[in-house]
Amino acid sequence: MSNYKNIFWVALILLACSIGACKKYEQFPVDKQTRSLVFDKYDSLGTNAYAYLTSMYGVLRDGHNVVGSDYLDAASDDAVSSAEGPTDAVTILSTASYNSFTLPVNENIWSGSQSYWAGIRMANEFVNNIGVVPVQQTYNGYSMKYEWKSEARFLRAYFYFELVKRFGGVPLLGNKVYTINDNISLPRNSFDDCIKYIISECDAIKDSLLTNPIISPNAYYGRATKGAAMALKARVLLYAASPLFNGGNIDGANPLTGYTNADPSRWAQAAQAAKDVIGLNSFALDSSFTDVFLTQNNSEIIFIRQGDNGNAVESANGPVGFPGAKGLGRTSPTQDLVDAFPMNNGLPISDPASGYDPNNPYVNRDPRLSYTVLYNGAQWLNTQLQTYEGGQSKPNTGQQQTLTSYYMRKFMGNFENANSYGAHNEDWVILRYAEVLLDYAEAENETLPAPSGEIYNAIVALRKRAGISAGTDGMYGLKPGLRQADMRTVIHNERRVELAFEESRYFDIRRWKIAETVMNQPRKGETIIQSGSATTYNVTNVLTTKFTQPKMYLYPIPYDEVLKNPNMKQNPGW
Amino acid sequence: MLFSVKSSFAVLQDTTAKSVNRIPGIITGKVIDENNRPLKGAAIVVKGTSIVIESDIAGLFEIKANPGAILIIKYPGHYIAEVKVKDDKDLTIKLLDTHIQSPDKVDVLYDKIDQSAQLGSVATIYTNQLTTTPASLYLYALPGQLPGLYAQQVSGFSAVQTAPQTSNGLFTNVVTSHNVAPNDNSEINLKIRGQKAITIIDGVQREISSIDPESIESVSVLKDGLSTILLGINSSKGILLVTTKRPTIGAPRISFTAETGIQQSLGLPTPLPAYQYAYLYNEALQNDGKAPIYTTADFNAFKNHTDPTGHPDVNWFKTILNDYSPLTSYKLNVNGGTQVARYTISLNYMDQGGIFKTASAVPYNTNNDLNRYVINSDLSVDVTPKFKVDLQLFGRIQQGTEPGGGYGNILQTLYSLPNNAYPVYNPNGSFGGTSFYTNNLLAQSENSGYIQTNNHDVLANLDLNYNMSSFLKGLSFRAKGNLSIESQTVLNRSLQNQSYLYTAKDSSYAAVGNTVSQSNNFATVTSARYAFAQGALNYARSFGKNNVNAMLLADYRSVVLTFDLPQITNDRAFKVGYNYDGKYFIEGAVNNSGYNRYPPGHQFGIFYAGGIGWQMGKESFIKDNLTWIDSWKWRADYAKTGNANIDSYGYYGYEQTYSGVYSAYPQGTSRSRGAGLIADSLANPNIRWENAHKIDIGTDISLFKNHLRVTADYYHDKYYDLLQVRGNSIALLGTPYTVENLGINLYKGGELTLTYSNNLGNFNYFITGNASIESSKVVYSDEEPSPYPWIRHTGQPVTAIYGYTALGFFQNAQDAAHSATTVGYTPQPGDIKYKDLNNDGVINQFDLSPIAGTKPLIYFGTTIGFNYKGFSFSAILQGVTNRQISIADNAYSGFIGAGQFGTQYVGQGYDVLNSRWTPETASSALLPRLSLGNLNNTSLSSFDIKSGNYLRLKNAEIGYSLPQEFCRKLKLVGIRVFANGENLLTLSGFKGQDPEVYYGDPLNYNPYPIQRVFNAGVTIKL
Repeated sequence: MSNYKNIFWVALILLACSIGACKKYEQFPVDKQTRSLVFDKYDSLGTNAYAYLTSMYGVLRDGHNVVGSDYLDAASDDAVSSAEGPTDAVTILSTASYNSFTLPVNENIWSGSQSYWAGIRMANEFVNNIGVVPVQQTYNGYSMKYEWKSEARFLRAYFYFELVKRFGGVPLLGNKVYTINDNISLPRNSFDDCIKYIISECDAIKDSLLTNPIISPNAYYGRATKGAAMALKARVLLYAASPLFNGGNIDGANPLTGYTNADPSRWAQAAQAAKDVIGLNSFALDSSFTDVFLTQNNSEIIFIRQGDNGNAVESANGPVGFPGAKGLGRTSPTQDLVDAFPMNNGLPISDPASGYDPNNPYVNRDPRLSYTVLYNGAQWLNTQLQTYEGGQSKPNTGQQQTLTSYYMRKFMGNFENANSYGAHNEDWVILRYAEVLLDYAEAENETLPAPSGEIYNAIVALRKRAGISAGTDGMYGLKPGLRQADMRTVIHNERRVELAFEESRYFDIRRWKIAETVMNQPRKGETIIQSGSATTYNVTNVLTTKFTQPKMYLYPIPYDEVLKNPNMKQNPGW
Repeated sequence: MLFSVKSSFAVLQDTTAKSVNRIPGIITGKVIDENNRPLKGAAIVVKGTSIVIESDIAGLFEIKANPGAILIIKYPGHYIAEVKVKDDKDLTIKLLDTHIQSPDKVDVLYDKIDQSAQLGSVATIYTNQLTTTPASLYLYALPGQLPGLYAQQVSGFSAVQTAPQTSNGLFTNVVTSHNVAPNDNSEINLKIRGQKAITIIDGVQREISSIDPESIESVSVLKDGLSTILLGINSSKGILLVTTKRPTIGAPRISFTAETGIQQSLGLPTPLPAYQYAYLYNEALQNDGKAPIYTTADFNAFKNHTDPTGHPDVNWFKTILNDYSPLTSYKLNVNGGTQVARYTISLNYMDQGGIFKTASAVPYNTNNDLNRYVINSDLSVDVTPKFKVDLQLFGRIQQGTEPGGGYGNILQTLYSLPNNAYPVYNPNGSFGGTSFYTNNLLAQSENSGYIQTNNHDVLANLDLNYNMSSFLKGLSFRAKGNLSIESQTVLNRSLQNQSYLYTAKDSSYAAVGNTVSQSNNFATVTSARYAFAQGALNYARSFGKNNVNAMLLADYRSVVLTFDLPQITNDRAFKVGYNYDGKYFIEGAVNNSGYNRYPPGHQFGIFYAGGIGWQMGKESFIKDNLTWIDSWKWRADYAKTGNANIDSYGYYGYEQTYSGVYSAYPQGTSRSRGAGLIADSLANPNIRWENAHKIDIGTDISLFKNHLRVTADYYHDKYYDLLQVRGNSIALLGTPYTVENLGINLYKGGELTLTYSNNLGNFNYFITGNASIESSKVVYSDEEPSPYPWIRHTGQPVTAIYGYTALGFFQNAQDAAHSATTVGYTPQPGDIKYKDLNNDGVINQFDLSPIAGTKPLIYFGTTIGFNYKGFSFSAILQGVTNRQISIADNAYSGFIGAGQFGTQYVGQGYDVLNSRWTPETASSALLPRLSLGNLNNTSLSSFDIKSGNYLRLKNAEIGYSLPQEFCRKLKLVGIRVFANGENLLTLSGFKGQDPEVYYGDPLNYNPYPIQRVFNAGVTIKL
C-alpha cells in the first residue's frame, strides 16, 4: 500500500516538474532578426545595416510603365495610353476623373502600398540606429557608416521632394520613427519649410557622399553621390522658383500650397545650384542620345533607379504586329509631342524656313524624334513600321494597338536592324546631366533681362549632342539675340523633347501653370491612309483630356488621411 | 442531456428457454442488454397491477403473474418492452438502447458530474445519434442535433494540404514561420454561439475529426463560460467535448459492422450546350461593342455536332466526373474486462472514393480517394482498489490520393471551361487543346499521375487516479499525461501531357503546352508534437444535506508545429461547488492561465467564473401541488474568459523584427543582387489576449414522468479587447498599423430544446427538436470617422456584408443617362442600377451599406424516430433561416474568367444565363445584360445576395435487429441490418445549386460538391 503511495508522490513530483518552467527553448525565435541584429554593435562590416540601406533604394520607383502599366507622361500632353477604357490609371489622371479617394494607386505615394512615407520611415530608422554599428571601412578618413547615413538622408530628401511636388507642403517628421504608441496626427509643414528642409539636407550631406566618377562602379554604381545631392537641390530649387509655387500659388496666402509671395531671387538660387553641378566637372553629355539609357555608368548619369538587363520596355511598349518580337504597344505618343521636335536644322516645324513637309512629316527632323517615337515608315526590326490604317502595326483587329499611329521608342534598345529584342540596360534615369543644363538655362533665363551666352551654350550642347546640324552660324537653329520670353519658349520646348517620358513633362506643365491650357484640349494623333503609293495624314482626336484648375495643380491628400487626422489640411478644391 | 429520454420500448422475446419445476403463477426470467449482458435493477411490472420487482445481479427475476398477463420491463437508457407471459417457458428479455440517451452522469470538461448538478449550458448526443450518418468524419452527424452549434459544410471532400506548409527560400535560409496546426476537418465549419470551437477528446485538446462514431460515447457542446473556464486563456471559445467509450466490466462484447454506400454529387451547375454558349457569347461581345466571333455556320456545327473536332460540344462535367462514387467502412469494437482490468479496442477502416473518372489504361488510381485505418484502445487497470491506471492509445494511418493536377485545380478548370473549348481527343487520338488551353482537362484528371498524402498519427493518454480517502475522506488525486504526434507527408507523382491543336485544313497537329515527365517528389508537409500534462486534487464530500466538491488543477500544454518554437499554455485553477440538498447550487472557479507567445511578463491572466442554480422542482409548492412536474431547475452563470489568438496575427508580433529579402535591389554595374533587409510588419508590444464577459441563463424542465423535457438558454456574450487595426491608421507612420486590442462585439441569443418520448406497448417513439437563434452586434469598432452613418460597422451585426443596393436594371437609355453610376462607367439599358445613398450623383464607396447578414441567424433540427420489435427508424430534419449567401457575380451571371487573352475569349456559361436581360425580356430578366468583364455589373451589391435558407432531410436510417432465436441459431448475440442516407432531400431558396456548397462561393470558389449518400450495412455482435 505504501509502495503505491510512493509511486503516487513520484508521479506528482514528475508532473510538477513538467508543469514548472524548465527553460528548454529559446524565448524568441532565432530566425527572427531584431533591431539589434540589423544594427549590430559588434559587426565591423555592417553587413546587415548595409542590407537595410540597400532595401531603402528599392523604395525608389522604377518609372518604366509604372502608373497602371503606363508611363506617367502618358497622363500629360505627350502621350496617351493605348489601353482602352476610362479605368486606366493615366487616363484617370489626364481626364480629371479622380478625386481624393480614387487617386490611382501608383500616384498615391502618400498612403497605400506605394507610399513614400515607408521610405522616409526606413531612412529615419537607419539614421537613428546606424551609429551603433562599428563599421571599419572608411571613406575620407571616417567610418563608412557616415557615408551610408548620408545616402539614407539623400533618399529621404528625395522621397520628401516627390511628395512635395505632388501635394505641396507635407508633415516633416524629422528623425523620429513613430511607433504604435505615438500620436501621429501631425499637421502639414509649409511648402517653404519643406523646401528649406530638403535643401538643408542636400547641403549637409553632399560632402560626405561618394563622389563622381564613382569608385568601384561594379559595386557602388547606383548609389547616391555628391553630384546626385547637388542635382536634386538644383531640381528642387527650380521647382520652388517656378510659377506654380513662386507667385502663382493656387491658394494665395496658403503656405501649404506654395510660397505666399513671389520672389525672383529664387530663380537665381536655382540657377546657382545648377551651375554648381556643372562646375563639379564630374558629368558630361554622352555622345549618343540613346546611349544615355542603354549604357551603365555613362558620363551623363547622375542618379538612377536600378533596373534589369532585359527587354521589358519593348514587351510593354514595342509596336504590335511583330510575331518574333512581342510588343503590346502600350504607349501612344501624341501628335503634339511629335510636332514639338524641330527639324534637323534646329528650326521648329512652324517656321516657314524649316523645310517641314506636311506630306512627308518625318524626314529631316531632329534625330531625337526617331529616338523617342516610332512613326509610320520608321526603321524598326529590319522593317519599315506600318502604322497606317490596317498596317502591320495598326491592324484594327480589336487588340491593343496605337491610338495615334505612333509608338514610343525611347528607352528601347537599338533594334532598328535586329529581328528580335535582346536584353539591354533598363535602369530608370532619375537625374542626368542634360536636365541640369536645362535647369540651369531655365533658371538663369529668368534672372537676366536678356539671355546670356551661357544659356545659349547649354541649349547648343544638347542640340549638338542630339545630332542637329550646326548650321552655317554654328547656332544649331537658335536665333541670336532672343528676348527672354522667346528663349523661355525655346527652353521649355527643348526640355519637352529632351526629357520626354522621363516624368518631367507631367510636372513641368504644372509648375509652369500651363496645364490648364494644354490639358483642356483634345489629345491628337495621326490617321494615316495608305492608298497605293500615296500616303495621306489626317490629325484626329484620340482622347479628350481635362484639367480642373486650380485644384488639380496639386494632388488631393488622400480622403482617409484627412478624415483620420484632424490636423491634416486638405488641398484647396478637393 | 436535458432533451433526452429514458423510456421507450423494444424487445425480443425468447421462447426457447427450458422450463424447470415451474411454480404456477410464478414467472421467472432474465433481462439482458444488446450484448446479452445481464441488466441488474431492471423494473418488471405486471401490467394493470401494482406488482413491481427488480432483476438481480444476474438479470434474473421471479414475479407473480399468470399466463396471458403482460409484463412491462423498464431499464434506464433502454426501450420499454412489453412481454406476454406464456405458461411454460422462462423469459429472456432483451432491452435495446434508446436512440436518445439521458444518463445521470454527464461529461463536463475534465470531469464527470451528476446531471442534476450541472449549472452550465451543455448539450450532448450519444453513440446512436452519431452512427446513423454515413460519412468520413463524425462531424457530419452534428448539424441539427446540437443546439448552439452551427455547422456548415463548405466542401464535399477533405482538402489535404499537398505542399509543405513552409519552405526554405531558394537562395537563402529565410523561412516563413507560423505554421498551421494540422486539422483533418476541411469540410465542416463549426461555430458555437458564433465562436470557433475547440475540440477536446477525452480531456485533451485534439483537432481530430476522423474517429469512428461507434467508438464515441458522447459528443457535447459546452457553450457557456462556466463550462469552459478551465481552459483559462482560451476559454472564450466554445468546446466540442468528445468522450470515447470506456471499458466496462463483463464478458467480451464484440461488435462488427460492415457498410457500404454510394455518394452522388449534389448541386452542380448545368453548363450551356456549345451552340447556346456561342450565341450568348456573341451577344456579350456585341453588348460590349465588339465584333461577334461565332457565325451561323458555327452555331449549326455546334448544334448538330457535325464537326466534333473543329466545333466540339463537350459536357466536361459528364466527361470527367462519375455519377456515383463509393464509400465503405468496416468497424470492429471489442469491450470487456474484469473488476481488475478492463479494455476496449476499436478498429476502423474507411475508404471514400472521389468523383473523378479514371482511365482503364492507367494502372494506378488517379481518382480522389481517402482511406484510413484508425485504432483506438483503452486499458483500465485497478492496481489497487484505490489506484487506477488507464492507458489509451489512438493510432491513425491515413492515405489520400488525388489526380496529379490536384483536384482543386481540376475543379477550377472544370467550372470555367466552355463546352466548345476543344475536343477531348483529336482524330488521331491525341489530347485536344488550343494555344490558350494547353493542358487537356481529361489528361489532367485521368492521365497526369497522382499525388498521395500520408498521415501517421499516434496519441497516447495515461490517466492515474488515486483515492486518498485514507488521508482525507473524499479526497482523490488524478494525473493525466498525453503525448501525440501527427505527421503528414506528400508524395507527388504527377506529370503533364502534351495537347495538340488539330487544324482540319491541312490535317496538322500543333503541339501546345508542354510535357512534364512524371515526378517523384517526397516532402514532409507537417509534423506536429503535442504534450499535455495535468494534475488535479479533487475533493467531494457530503455533510448531511450539504454537498461540497472542489478541484485544484494545474496543467501544461505544449504544441510544436514543424519548426516553430513551442506554444506553451499553462493553467492553474481552482474550482469549488456547493449545494444544499440538491436544491440550491453555487459554483465558482478561478484560473490563472498563460500562454508563452505573449510578451514576457505579460503572459498570464486571471480568468474566473461563477454560477448558481435552483432546483425549483424540489420545492414543496411544486412537489406537493404540481406532481406532473418532475424537475424544474433554474441556472445562471457568468464568466470572464480569454482568447489567446495572437498567433492568428503573426509569429512573435510583439517585437519589431526584420526579414532578409533576396534580390532586394541590384547593386553596381554588375547588378549583383545582394541581400536586403526590411522591417516586418509593425510590432505591437502591448498586445494581449482578447477577453469576454459571458452570461448564460437557462432552465431545464422535465414533465409528465420525464416524457417531456425542455431546456432553454439565453446568453449574452460580450467579447472585448478584440484585435483589430485602428481606424485612425494614419499613413504618415510609414508602415501599416498592426492589430491592437480595441474592438467590442456582442453576441446574444438563445436555444430551446424539446424532447418527447413515449411508448404504446412495444412501439417506442420519440421526437426531439431544437432551435437556436444567434444575433451579433459590433458594439465598438475603431473606425475612421465617416460622414455617412450607413458605412459604419459599429452598431451593425458582426456578420453584415457591405455592398451597393441594387434597384433593378436600367430599362432604357434615358433612365441610364439620368442615374448615378459608378465612376467612369457609362451605363446602358440592362445594367444594374444602384442606389445613390448620399445623392452625390456617383456610385462609389460612400454608397456601401449593409446588404446582408443583418438578421439574427436561426438554425434548427428535428429528430424523429421509433422502434418496434427490432424495427427502428430515425430521421433528422435540419434547416437554417435568415441565412444569406453571396455568389461571385460572374460565376452566376457571366462568363467565368472572361477576358481577352490575345484574341482568345474564354469563360464558361451556365443555364442561368438564359434569364439575362435583353430588350425583349426586360420585364422578366433575372440577370443583367451579358458582358465580358463589366465593372458596373460585377460590383458586390444586393443583387449578388441570395437566400441561403434551407431545410434538409439531413439523415435517415431504417434498421432491423433480427430476432434473437435466429441469432442464437447462428451463435451470435445479435444481427442488425440497416440502410441509411445523408443529404437525402433539400428545400432551398437558392435554386440551381446547393445552398451550402456552391460554385461561386467567395469563400470556396471552386468547391468539391456536397455528396448525397445512400448506405447499407450490417452489424454483427458476438
